[in-house]
Amino acid sequence: MTAVEYLDLLIKALLLAGVYAAMAVGMTVVYGVMKIVNLAHAGFLMLGAYFSFELFTRFHIDPILGAVLALPVFFVFGMLVHWVLVRWLPKSDTPTLASLLLMFGFWLVLQNVGYAVWGNEDQSILTPRTLSAVHIGDEISIPKVNLVVFAAAVVCMILLEIVFHRSWFGRSMRALIQNPYAAQIVGVDDQRTSRMTFGLGTAFAGFAGALLGMLYSFSPDFGRPFLLRSFVIIVLGGLESVSGVALGAIVLAILETFSTVVPLPWYWHGWHTFYLPPSYQPVIPFALLVVVLVIMPKGLAGLFNRKWKTA
Amino acid sequence: MSILEVEKLTKFFGGVAALKEVSFDIPENQICGFIGPNGAGKTTLFSVITGAHRPSGGTVQLHGKDITGMDSASLVKRGVARTHQVVRPFKAMTVLENVQVAVHYGRRAVTRTSHAREHAMEALRLVGLDQKANQIASVLSLGEQKRLEVARALATAPELLLLDEICGGLTGAETRSMMDLLHRIREGGTTIMYIEHEMKAIMSVCDRITVLNFGQKLAEGKPDEIQNDESVIEAYLGKNTFRSAPRA
Amino acid sequence: MTRPANVSGWLRLILPWTLLAALLLLPVARPSDNLIRLLFLTAVYSTAGLGWNLLGGMAGQVSFGFAVFFGLGAYTTALLMHAGHSPYFGFIGGASIAMLASFFIGLPTFRLRGPYFVIATIGVTEAVRVIMNNLDITGGASGYRIAEDKPFNPLEHYYTAIVAVALAVLVSTIIANSKFGLALRAIKQDQDAAADLGVNPFTTKLWIHAFAAGLTGIAGGIYARRAGFFYPGDVFAFQTGINILLIPVIGGIGTIWGPVLGGVVFIIVEETISAKYQDFHLMIYGALLILIVLVEPGGLIKSKHLWVRLGKLLIGLFTGETWKALFVMIREILRKLRFLKAQHIEE
Repeated sequence: MTAVEYLDLLIKALLLAGVYAAMAVGMTVVYGVMKIVNLAHAGFLMLGAYFSFELFTRFHIDPILGAVLALPVFFVFGMLVHWVLVRWLPKSDTPTLASLLLMFGFWLVLQNVGYAVWGNEDQSILTPRTLSAVHIGDEISIPKVNLVVFAAAVVCMILLEIVFHRSWFGRSMRALIQNPYAAQIVGVDDQRTSRMTFGLGTAFAGFAGALLGMLYSFSPDFGRPFLLRSFVIIVLGGLESVSGVALGAIVLAILETFSTVVPLPWYWHGWHTFYLPPSYQPVIPFALLVVVLVIMPKGLAGLFNRKWKTA
Repeated sequence: MSILEVEKLTKFFGGVAALKEVSFDIPENQICGFIGPNGAGKTTLFSVITGAHRPSGGTVQLHGKDITGMDSASLVKRGVARTHQVVRPFKAMTVLENVQVAVHYGRRAVTRTSHAREHAMEALRLVGLDQKANQIASVLSLGEQKRLEVARALATAPELLLLDEICGGLTGAETRSMMDLLHRIREGGTTIMYIEHEMKAIMSVCDRITVLNFGQKLAEGKPDEIQNDESVIEAYLGKNTFRSAPRA
Repeated sequence: MTRPANVSGWLRLILPWTLLAALLLLPVARPSDNLIRLLFLTAVYSTAGLGWNLLGGMAGQVSFGFAVFFGLGAYTTALLMHAGHSPYFGFIGGASIAMLASFFIGLPTFRLRGPYFVIATIGVTEAVRVIMNNLDITGGASGYRIAEDKPFNPLEHYYTAIVAVALAVLVSTIIANSKFGLALRAIKQDQDAAADLGVNPFTTKLWIHAFAAGLTGIAGGIYARRAGFFYPGDVFAFQTGINILLIPVIGGIGTIWGPVLGGVVFIIVEETISAKYQDFHLMIYGALLILIVLVEPGGLIKSKHLWVRLGKLLIGLFTGETWKALFVMIREILRKLRFLKAQHIEE
């Protein structure tokens, strides 16, 4: 492969990372504040894709606008889910079996709703943007849709950072992430912040789902591979930090993009190289997940800022 | 003959040194107290010796054999057991079962359940919890939970027992019975390392006392020597203060 | 064994044997083929559920990845049978390979705790499925067919499964009452405190993982032999791992008879309700899971209340008071939720 081809792939990987970050960030805030590994995230992603699909096919609303519209709609939806289901869970510093199973059960319900409403055939959102591309030189061509999606994801992430650091709600969230007990002592309303956090997490899931729906075809089982990618990203990012998510997303996107085109070295009576067969590419996120968990359970961020840890 | 030799033990958390080159010997069959202001590194010292944390430097030797950085479970099998400042009973088990775990997996490694029950009852009798053997551990009072913690550690049949603030939050009578218990444990041939903030308790029971401050060894000696040591008084009360009753 | 002290003790001693005898003698009564098939499936799933329960229930290490062992059991049995070995040797082989795999999975993942472990098991199971889809030896994604020379004998399959589930119950009982079981309970409640009493959490978990994997592997083998045809998207599916997890959770996590009950409920739901309303298959499990988690975290076997209500519901079916019974049941659930909320505020 030539250097230009590598550059082409690198650009595509970075664009992908933007969407990945938007996809994982909702999970991170929910985990950080509530210590719930939100398996229903996959369901929300799927609903987000269908949400913009429906808006597009019925009302001819641009999918990008659809994705933005998903934010408030899913925010309310998430708060509702929290109010109906999540708030009953016993509080804990670490994820409980109960929370895992509850969210998993809810995912099953959402998936079923998907099958009941939309059937199990693959859908995709096709706009004029899908097929056109921006050309740089002769070798590099970037589909316009990827660019648009990337821009939307990045803008949203920046907005989230601002909410996180500038608003009352963001401060309460950060307080709860750092020390739930101290936060409540100084008057942070735990229930209310949790509810809004869950809404925020759901909003981002819906938004990211809509963006992903523009890039890939989807079915009601759409969320699962992305759920696992979200895990990888937030684990790489150290589970609780929003900026870590961006880092994790970039690492995953680059590894996925390059895994099948870069010759890998291996030793068998001398050094050889081989290419990973494309059919094995889906293994990458899962294998990476296990490897990362085992080697650096604190995530990439943990390598940079080791905090004081008391006995 | 010393049972434990600690040599230049150091532990960093991030960039902060919780222990700085602490060295001391523990003679066999004595009760050795460890005191120091909050954050002096006492609990960290215990955690590093018993394998809950890996030391950043230095060595720990048990009977002349290197045990530095060994995990808790192996250390228990070699006869080093500890209690925690914050009690951690298995709340969903009965008091007897709590202790039974220690008998099965401690130094004696008893296999037969009936034997294990007998040994466990023995430990419970020693701390005075035998009446409550069949109750669920979560219903015990704090004092009882502290005694359960001691009973569990004892049931592992340790040669060296590390006790971390077993009197915090206890009443005067409970504290006195705990001190009696320490003497009995020592008479049974177990060496004790003992952290306590309760000055009266620790001064009355210990043969020797080591004072830690800011992760370093400040002084070492018999209780009355420590009580009159200038640097110790300074560490506890600050400079230019008249000596008064040490704080609890 | 000591003599039981009271009536419920006697019941506890006698009921399992009665149940086993009834199941073994059942074919005498010439039941329908479908009943035999349902009981076979119940026994197979209960076996796998009991296996999961050893690790997830007794030691508290929740794994979403038991499809790996189920699938390995299935494929090992099939490959051994293909090589001309007896199916029973195949089951043992399946169990052995599953146990071996459990060590490979456990060595890295048991260094993790809580959510990290759970997430890692999801990664492992998905990775294994993708690999199995691509391996030549498994026939890839298109599946594998077992051809037996003998004519199909449902009773042989039935008895195999009954023996397997009896074995699983026996293993569970022995472990629960041994010092090993005590160590597992200690680890479940406080891993560090257990280590301070001399229990090595890492090796203990590895061993119980192996037992669990072995039982699940046997279940996979027995399932595969009767099914005759299977593919990675079926036996290695994420959903299979979920089913194996659901069974003890529904029945009663950490108990011995919970997974058995869970297997019965699972198959009833699978074969009646979800066969009838196929479109709502997932929703039924989802709703069941949500209800169990919120209302009865100990599982059905712990819920005396629910049994009484269910009994009344059944009686209601005959006396025409179904709606009333259903209403009372829902009211009960709501009351329970209110109680949960009260607890919440207290904290």
